[in-house]
Amino acid sequence: MIQRYRASAGVMLAPAVTLIGIFILLPMLLTVWLSFQDWSTQTPFSSASFIGLDNFREIFGASSVGRDFKVALINTAIYTALSVILILPLSVAFGLMVYQHDVAGGTALRTVLFSTYMVPMIAVALVWSKLYSPSEGPLNQMLGLIGIGPQPFLSSPGSALVSIVFLNVWQQVGYFTVLAIAGLTQIPGSLYEAAKLDGANRFEQFRFITLPLMRRTLLFSAVIAIINAVQVFEPVALITQGGPVGSTNVLTYHIRRVGIERAQGGLGSAMAVMLMLSLIVVVCALFALANRKDQE
Amino acid sequence: MSGGSSSRLSRKRPSGRKALLATLMLLVAVASAFPLVWMVLSSLKTPAESMQVPPVWIPHTPGLDAYEKVSGVVNVGRSMWNSLVIASVTTAGILITSMMAGYAFAKYHFPAKSLLFSVLIATMFLPPIVTLIPLYRLVGSIGLNASLAGIIVPNLANAFGIFLMRQFIAGVPDDLIDAARMDGASELLILFKIVAPSVAPAIAALALFAFVYHWNSYLWPLTVLQGNADAYPIVISLSRLLSYNRGAVNTGLVMAGATLAVLPPLILFVLLQRFFVDSIVGSAIKG
Repeated sequence: MIQRYRASAGVMLAPAVTLIGIFILLPMLLTVWLSFQDWSTQTPFSSASFIGLDNFREIFGASSVGRDFKVALINTAIYTALSVILILPLSVAFGLMVYQHDVAGGTALRTVLFSTYMVPMIAVALVWSKLYSPSEGPLNQMLGLIGIGPQPFLSSPGSALVSIVFLNVWQQVGYFTVLAIAGLTQIPGSLYEAAKLDGANRFEQFRFITLPLMRRTLLFSAVIAIINAVQVFEPVALITQGGPVGSTNVLTYHIRRVGIERAQGGLGSAMAVMLMLSLIVVVCALFALANRKDQE
Repeated sequence: MSGGSSSRLSRKRPSGRKALLATLMLLVAVASAFPLVWMVLSSLKTPAESMQVPPVWIPHTPGLDAYEKVSGVVNVGRSMWNSLVIASVTTAGILITSMMAGYAFAKYHFPAKSLLFSVLIATMFLPPIVTLIPLYRLVGSIGLNASLAGIIVPNLANAFGIFLMRQFIAGVPDDLIDAARMDGASELLILFKIVAPSVAPAIAALALFAFVYHWNSYLWPLTVLQGNADAYPIVISLSRLLSYNRGAVNTGLVMAGATLAVLPPLILFVLLQRFFVDSIVGSAIKG
């Protein structure tokens, strides 16, 4: 009997494990292997030749390859940090608006917020590149109405990356709001009643009940937000092509340009490995921080 | 006296708070909805209305001319069909592979089960760019590049689907499965005839997630198709419209294209948002 189910387990797992093995795990190992090779993406894997750490030396070196990579790494870090810093507090604030029962319309608000998450990036890019348009764009027209001069948005190196962060926050905040609501529903109502009896005001209830009990949700949200943020590609590829003057050149865009368009597979793989390592470090640091807070 | 004033205060304060909260909620909803509402309104304007200064927010004579013009720039029918094929076939594959693997992880005991599960789940957190370069070469070497199959095949299984299915199938009573086994039903029959119906909402949620995700997906199709425009999904075809985005005269055309790309996923969402939201909440809590 046991033997029969063991065979069944093999049958049940085979399709998923084979597909994920061939198309995700194998390429991941290949990326690591290729990062130590001199290899052109247009040639078979067998033509790769081992060059040790040369790719890593080059992407951190003083040549133009190194300069571009370091700029992309820093841009990605800024983009990710800004996205998380904006998305987390907004998602909690919006989650509280949806979850409360004092004013009707919470569910409708959730629908509106979450619907933007369904919109394909091409449409977001088409619409926002128009909204941001310096001369006839609606955003500058509205700023004009309240007496603020026209902003350059995507056309200035100083504001292009931040403008893409806003576009990203607009699109994704609804998803994180739903995660925040999931966290809020886990908090027992009796805690708030007890706090009210003790005379805690709304701010104190939020500070001492809601926030601490949301820590697990916020940690999960932060990890997902970081992983989403390093994947930003479409708005850059479609609207700014990494410019102006490299100010929106982020890693996903840069790695694809180097590894696919310029066919420098070894260099691109070394960059991908650095991205993966940075992600692991950041996520582990987040978990360590959360654990230390838990012990306090 | 003092009692009266305090009761008036406590009645007044909450209503002021409610008004403030309602205003805030309205502001958030308007800010969130504005880009898409503006997109649809602009797609209905005439070119003259688009160029008017000060701007016309709501078209006086809404028309569908811009939508006709989109089909002059982009092969809308072909691209929509490609997107439909990519999203539906990929979704069907994900449903089958996820249900089978989810069932194995939920109901079987086998060696190295938790190790295998951890390795699979770890791939959920891997940004696709990390595997893009070798995957591109790999798919090319098995002759699938520049085709719809090249877009679809690598995505027929994913960790999120397995995770979601395991979570929900674990809640199906063992007695139900054992009873069917007594009757001599095969394991696949049990999965699709007995287990699947009892986790139907989760299957619906996964189907919608997968469909919308692969309808919207851009990076992998762009990379694997190598410029084969016949196989372009709608989200890639429409990128041609970006070159029409300078100056106001073509705003209607561009927004009509954007609206076309948004409609299928948005309609699905509006019809079935309950499943979307429930499954996110479910996977977050149980995860």
